Amino acid sequence: MANGSQGAPEILENLKMELRRGCLIVAVLAQLRTEQYGYTLRKALADDGLAIDEGTLYPLLRRLETQGLLVSQWREEDKRNKRFYRLSTAGEQILTQLLEEWQDINTSLNRMLQEV
Amino acid sequence: MEILDGYLSAVKRCLPRKQRKDIVAELREDLLSQLEARAEQLGRPLTDAEQYAVLMQHGDPMVVARRYCPNRRSLSLGWELIGPELFPAYLFVLGLNLAITVAVIPISLVIYQAPITVQPFILPVAAQIVCVTAVFILLNLVRLKFPQQWIYPPAELASVIPLQRWYSVSGLVACSVLTLWWLAIPYFQFLVLGPSAGELKLAPVWHRYYIPVLLLFLAGIGQRAVAVVRPDWTWLLPTSRFLISGVGAIVMFFFRTHPLVVVNASAKDLAHAEELARSTNAWMGWGLFGPWLWIYLAIGALFYAWYSRPYLRRFLQGRRNQIRPVHELNGVL
Repeated sequence: MANGSQGAPEILENLKMELRRGCLIVAVLAQLRTEQYGYTLRKALADDGLAIDEGTLYPLLRRLETQGLLVSQWREEDKRNKRFYRLSTAGEQILTQLLEEWQDINTSLNRMLQEV
Repeated sequence: MEILDGYLSAVKRCLPRKQRKDIVAELREDLLSQLEARAEQLGRPLTDAEQYAVLMQHGDPMVVARRYCPNRRSLSLGWELIGPELFPAYLFVLGLNLAITVAVIPISLVIYQAPITVQPFILPVAAQIVCVTAVFILLNLVRLKFPQQWIYPPAELASVIPLQRWYSVSGLVACSVLTLWWLAIPYFQFLVLGPSAGELKLAPVWHRYYIPVLLLFLAGIGQRAVAVVRPDWTWLLPTSRFLISGVGAIVMFFFRTHPLVVVNASAKDLAHAEELARSTNAWMGWGLFGPWLWIYLAIGALFYAWYSRPYLRRFLQGRRNQIRPVHELNGVL
């Protein structure tokens, strides 16, 4: 055991989850530069290697919409009502800033790793 | 789509009231897309068991719903005692119990013409808090250990899941043993009175309540025996147990209001036998046949009434024939 209550695999899982959490928000915002509904968004994320379960995705979409980063609209497609999401203007600005931040972190990490 | 509807009803129940309709519509759309994709992959319509498997993968309805709740409170003391999934139910049950306790105590104090002070409240309130918290800590442990297993599936899904035979058989054995014990009591009173059987005997109240209790035991045996043969009659368990528990609660409530034992005329030391009768009545009235028994049965009746709801709804809508238990789901839960 790595410490009193958690084993190394559990700690790794928790850290990976924390790392993914932030990345997923950026990924969802990036995917929603084009309008999509929940199921296709989830498939697109999974196809690009960032699988996310629906129990996490939908509450996240709701939160981002409440924060004004997404806008949604119910529309009929293939004889079924679907809720389509896309980035709002505010969301586009935030995504640009987040991507810049991401690049900075990436550059810093790469530099640190090369030094090692 | 009865299984999907059942699943969504179970999720809906735990969602924030204002967002229910919207969230359920979106979940329905996503799950329908998943079911369609799976059917396309297999090249045929999905069986009910396959539909159920997709929903199981989606997660426990309560856990799914709680993710939409902004307020994810929990009880923890360094480690999680009651998780955010169970915490709202814990608060509800605890609140309900405390409200009933606080309402009932003053009434009983007035009936017994006792002064209303704080003291009579302390022990029952503390006991409620300790018991309810302990039960929910245990439930939380079970949920953490077996996250995908429901001892009881959501009421809306129970109709499509046949009862497991081991469950009915073990219940049948336990109920038969209890019935044999009850049947033997008139002939072997020591089964209730223990070593005091020589000095005491069962009070006349037993004659009045013996047959009704026996009938309830026999009804319990009958329900379990039928469930062994017809596990697909999923309506039988909740409806029959609702009746059995409800009637049982009423019978037990009145049963314990009478003295349960009296002195045997052949007792050698009458004074000692009377003292023994007093202590045995107190022990039985607050122990073996204490209030816990009728409260337990009343809670059971409410629980099974909840599980009977979907059947009653179908019955009222004249959709009795649409209940289709899924045999492949045996052992899923």
